[in-house]
Amino acid sequence: MRLRRFLVLRMIQLVPVLLVVVVLNFVLIHLAPGDVALAMAGENPDPVYMAAIRERFGLDKPLHVQLLTYIARIAQGDLGDSFRSRRPVTETLLERVPATLLLVATALAFSSLLGTIVGTWIARRAGGGLDVWVSGLAVASYSVPVFWLGLMLILFLAIRVPVFPPSGMMSVTGVAPGLARWLDILHHLVLPALALSTVWFGQYVRIARSSVLQVLSEDFVTTARAIGYPERQVLFGHVLPNAMLPVVTVLGLQLGLVLAGAVLTETVFAWPGLGQLVYESILARDTPLIVGSYVVMGVCVVAASLLVDLVYAALDPRVEL
Amino acid sequence: MSSQILARALFSLALAAIVAVPVFGAPAAPPAAPGGPVTLVVPTSVDARSMNPNWQSDSGGFDPTSNINCHLVAVDWGVTKGTSVYGDLAESWTADRAARVYTFKLRRNARFHDGRPVTSADVKYTYETVMDKRYPLRAYLADVKEIRTPDPATVVIELNNPDAAFVAMLGIASNWFGKILPKHLYEGKDWPTADVNARPVGCGPFKFIEWARGNFITLEANPDYHMGRAKIDRLIFRIITDQSVAYAEFQAGRFPYLPNVYLPSYAEVAKRMTKDPEIDVVFTPSIYSRDLYLNLKREPLNNLKVRQAIAHALDRRMMNQLAFFGIWKPSWYAGIDGVPQFLNKRARFPDANLKKAEDLLEEAGLKKGADGMRFRISLTNYPVTDSRVISEVVVQQLKRVGIDVRWEQFDTQTWLSRLRAGNFDISTYFVRYAPDPDAYREHFGTGQARNFVGYSNAEFDKIVDDARRTTDNTRRKELYGRAQDILVREMPYINLFMESKFSMVRKGWKGFSVQEDGHNKSMTWFGYHAVTPPGR
Repeated sequence: MRLRRFLVLRMIQLVPVLLVVVVLNFVLIHLAPGDVALAMAGENPDPVYMAAIRERFGLDKPLHVQLLTYIARIAQGDLGDSFRSRRPVTETLLERVPATLLLVATALAFSSLLGTIVGTWIARRAGGGLDVWVSGLAVASYSVPVFWLGLMLILFLAIRVPVFPPSGMMSVTGVAPGLARWLDILHHLVLPALALSTVWFGQYVRIARSSVLQVLSEDFVTTARAIGYPERQVLFGHVLPNAMLPVVTVLGLQLGLVLAGAVLTETVFAWPGLGQLVYESILARDTPLIVGSYVVMGVCVVAASLLVDLVYAALDPRVEL
Repeated sequence: MSSQILARALFSLALAAIVAVPVFGAPAAPPAAPGGPVTLVVPTSVDARSMNPNWQSDSGGFDPTSNINCHLVAVDWGVTKGTSVYGDLAESWTADRAARVYTFKLRRNARFHDGRPVTSADVKYTYETVMDKRYPLRAYLADVKEIRTPDPATVVIELNNPDAAFVAMLGIASNWFGKILPKHLYEGKDWPTADVNARPVGCGPFKFIEWARGNFITLEANPDYHMGRAKIDRLIFRIITDQSVAYAEFQAGRFPYLPNVYLPSYAEVAKRMTKDPEIDVVFTPSIYSRDLYLNLKREPLNNLKVRQAIAHALDRRMMNQLAFFGIWKPSWYAGIDGVPQFLNKRARFPDANLKKAEDLLEEAGLKKGADGMRFRISLTNYPVTDSRVISEVVVQQLKRVGIDVRWEQFDTQTWLSRLRAGNFDISTYFVRYAPDPDAYREHFGTGQARNFVGYSNAEFDKIVDDARRTTDNTRRKELYGRAQDILVREMPYINLFMESKFSMVRKGWKGFSVQEDGHNKSMTWFGYHAVTPPGR
């Protein structure tokens, strides 16, 4: 019962959050000079053509009228049509979301899992030679710019030693549908996922290490060891559940950015995801696509934070919903 | 104990990664197995927005739609050799003496990809829809009085006023949004939203096969194309956003042609030009220049002495060395070598002379302040690499004579809208001198579309208007010569370079639109109809 009330409350919270997302982005895009009519008109822009475009899309109306019209439409679940392709925004976004999800989810799973394992591992050897080395590497991987790392991976693992395809999501020279196509996509996924997870890996190592280290020094761990529990049980049964809260927090934050967090990676690897779409739409001033993407990303952030709260409650009996 | 578990987990993960690789197989081999079908993959930086090219300017769509569709007439990149405009669908055309009525004879063997013949009715339908809906090509059809179709193979276009530049300008605009569309599929439908756009049917050298949005667009040679079947079998446009990635893939031999938008640094190009046995660096003369637009509505640029001083402060040769490693061609004329028939070599922008520049600024009453600067001015640039590197040097060169320059950079849309609003002091620009010198009117005629500097000279207006209304080339040369005299004297702009386009082609491949052997055959700048793979 309490859970249902909590969920309903959060759903209600979603409304103002999305409203802020929409208003903010709508205003920001309109503050940027140049509009879609000019972009569409070509070398010798015809004022009548541009006026017709502006009228067609309601761009000639005052900003608050445009905004209200847009909000009214979103309220009905309609994100409108793209100015430049005239296809429904929802349809366009749905085409791109799977690619981004595949890339980011893979990278997230890989980096959080491996990062936590490594962080826990070195926490038990804190101060040792291995700890110094691995911690150093973690900081390094955390601070590498993802586009540079991506380029290096392409140069070494796709060009110098051509093991993986350098960019794109599938081979252009026809692959049969079914398993072969999936394998082809996975093959293309390796480098971008590697680049993204390397960059994220570092922070999970750091967080897991410090968190585990802190819990290890708690009295209840000493007590558990004194009682004579085997070390494995101390670690997995007592330390890890308590040390996981910060990790879950970071994971939740990143989960919220699951659709927005890979723009640079998608650009370098020509990955046909949402990031690439948003980037192109901004340059083309395709307002419905831009705002539509941000709405979807906003929903993602809210959903992720909801998920984090639920996991928190499950992990930590002190947290009540 | 636990460390052993972790170590084992790590090891198995690493092992899984290594083992997984061969399962997925090696990356795609380069195309062109001897005797087999030839696939040409071309990188393109932006995805198309629509497969109907005519209702908006869609830079991502130029590549695919220029190859799927055919055009009445086409224009080449370089326009230095051969004719400036040639027929695609049009077999020939004639103009009446007054340059007011144009009669096009169409090729009788032209067919759409669904087998239906291409007739004068399709041309009329396409152009009339453009005019009616005022789609972008309309700027080039604005003066059309009537389009007549006396028979299926004849199109007569009658203008209200004489215009010697009509066919050439139609040709250049056809690169972007002047493709002939099938009347039988589009009639009664809204171009932007027509369902035909999803599976376009054109009359060009390649048929549409597949569009994996955000990934690639696949076309296939059309065996019935009226100018003959292309020599490549498949044409694939693959989206690669990042310049360095495209260059790396080109170097690795994953595709044979690197279009100029992907060009690496000029230092790298200069190096490749001299020593690379496998790659040809292709130079293509351009119909554009790179120049500085001076906003005549702004102080102190409204003072001729200040504009002259700026011209004297600019050292093109030094600029060429610093910005382009010496591989561009400086220009002192109000025209380009690429169009020699209309070039007036007597009209020449001044040479670098710092003393003269300083004297002129003193005469203009702009004394040096305590910091050695006379006044402050802003500079912006067309957001492409060449104009950016030119700007870097301009800033330094103007500082030498006491002009403090604030350099501002924007994205294309922002830059363009600032230019159109006259919201700039100095900007780099690209005056277009061909395929017809009528462009002088477009750039510097009073109130014209590209006259962002606010230039207005009644004498100039009359000259370029007269020149447009005659087909007598001797007379046109004389008139445009006078127009160039005026421009150099009054300096609403200062020409710096002829634009130099460099692209890269793997040895053995021929017939790209940027290469001379692709001239008069490519069917637009974006056309791949003439491309020949090695050994064919």
